[in-house]
Amino acid sequence: MATVNGYQGNTPVAAPVGTAASRQPVNAPKMVDSQSVLKRLQSELMALMMSGDCGISAFPEEDNIFLWKGTIQGIKDTVFEGTEYKLSLSFPNDYPFNPPTVKFETGCFHPNVDVCGNLCLDILKENWSSAYDVRTILLSIQSVLGEPNISSPLNSQAAQLWSNQEEYRKVVLKLYKPPSA
Amino acid sequence: MDNQTVNNVVDADAESEDISESFLCCICLDLLYKPIVLSCGHISCFWCVHKSMSIIYKSHCPICRHTYNHFPSICLMLHLLLSKINPIAYKRREKQILEEEKTMGSFSPQFDSHSCQPLLDHMGNSAQSFTIVNESTSEGGIHENNGTTIPVQSSGGTVAIMEKNSPKNKLNGNRKQIAVTDVLCSACKQLLIHPVALNCGHVYCETCIIKQTDEKIRCQICLCLNPKGCPKVCLELDRLLEEQFSKEYALRKDAIQPNKVQSNHESATTCSMEAGKLGFNASFLSTGEQLPMWADPRSKIYFGVGCDYCGMYPIIGDRYKCKDCMEAVGFDLCGDCYNTRSKLPGRFNQKHTQEHKLELVKPIVIHNVMRGLMTGQLEDGSSALILANDIFAPVSDDVQPQENTSNTDNIIEENESEPAS
Repeated sequence: MATVNGYQGNTPVAAPVGTAASRQPVNAPKMVDSQSVLKRLQSELMALMMSGDCGISAFPEEDNIFLWKGTIQGIKDTVFEGTEYKLSLSFPNDYPFNPPTVKFETGCFHPNVDVCGNLCLDILKENWSSAYDVRTILLSIQSVLGEPNISSPLNSQAAQLWSNQEEYRKVVLKLYKPPSA
Repeated sequence: MDNQTVNNVVDADAESEDISESFLCCICLDLLYKPIVLSCGHISCFWCVHKSMSIIYKSHCPICRHTYNHFPSICLMLHLLLSKINPIAYKRREKQILEEEKTMGSFSPQFDSHSCQPLLDHMGNSAQSFTIVNESTSEGGIHENNGTTIPVQSSGGTVAIMEKNSPKNKLNGNRKQIAVTDVLCSACKQLLIHPVALNCGHVYCETCIIKQTDEKIRCQICLCLNPKGCPKVCLELDRLLEEQFSKEYALRKDAIQPNKVQSNHESATTCSMEAGKLGFNASFLSTGEQLPMWADPRSKIYFGVGCDYCGMYPIIGDRYKCKDCMEAVGFDLCGDCYNTRSKLPGRFNQKHTQEHKLELVKPIVIHNVMRGLMTGQLEDGSSALILANDIFAPVSDDVQPQENTSNTDNIIEENESEPAS
């Protein structure tokens, strides 16, 4: 048996370019059964709407179910309390076998978020599992807000300031621009 | 969102069946279809497991990250069970997956809907020994890998059960109609208790597995060796058994209790220790951690190619490819499986027969892949990159597996397919 559809599996490591040579040549066309991706996203949306988790929400864009807009609220008793962040989630054609691309649309002063809104989170990269879904992603991001990974920061200024929570809170509030819509 | 997707959801809701949450696949979020039980005890669909496997290195359970190297076979017992518990939804899934398979051009193993025997028109090697097993049991549903042409009648027990149950199926579409005979241990022929599924898809009581343990676990039905230690209990199935057959389950539980105290302890520790170690590795599994194996210039890995018998994916070690199978997915065996007489049907319903010829495939040595990546030459002529003093010289095409006469001896010799890492 050889891989079907060229999926890379749970761990989306960059596949060596030459692998095709060792595989059957017929594998070249990478077909996408978008129907099953649609179905899965649909089920996720249903589950998310039913779950009523507080502090997170997400909904697909009007014309494209592969693009979602999500919001997360800062957890109580963290420096992000009272703030709300808008995110964009873009799902690949082989979702859930590869993670969606998640970006902050609202500026976020956080050690693991860069100025463009890109965030660094292991479960959205090498530790992705196809059992994760929008809900778990948003909950993870929400908890990462309060517990950043200081050792590999994207925003070193934020990482340095993290130890001083009082100052940090001030900066967060100063830089915070609530999402317009 | 287009209307079609909305309709799909409505359709699913319109089903009067109540799909138990424990039988929802965590990947496609739908009823499990052609379920596979991983060695950690978690269940997922055939395609969901296959697609989430890593083509490059170890795969991880989507739920618990337990690592594994072998693509397990479909658990036919569970397959049969689900089609009885949720007949309508299972039919819908069957239709839907078949559609997807048609677009993909690759198919999952097809089973006869009544007997659950693989629909194959060629004889497996050990047909005779399997037939004996078949007749002595009444659970024809769980002989997956034998590839025999045992007619439906030979598994009369199953058919009878199905017929007996079918009127009830229509009356109440819930899980009441499953019988104890649907969920028997492959070894003790009693109601399963703390079920574990082996790599070959056969299900045993945890205690029955432990009894036969002589380091390696061998399936008593298909005589396959289980690639890794003791699998963990499939909790979802265990819960169902406890719910459905509470009386019998309690009886069985009491009966096995004394045994369990002695034997379960050691197995439990070995299992959890192994799992713990693996979990530890997995959590820190970065590319750096993989280096020892990658760095070995002799390591032979066939990215994205799996063994159609033991399921090792990707194949590490020798790889034999069928020259006659026309399916896109191809038919491959790992070195260990090639050296035994096992010529089983492929994992993707390939029409592989014994007459087909297999050839050893020249490996791409990891170092060369790396060098190729750096120089970008690999695409236009991988063979040029193979070292001049290549130790893996191609083997002549006419290599034939040793065809021996005695059945069982050979199968028992069949090697364990631990990756040669």
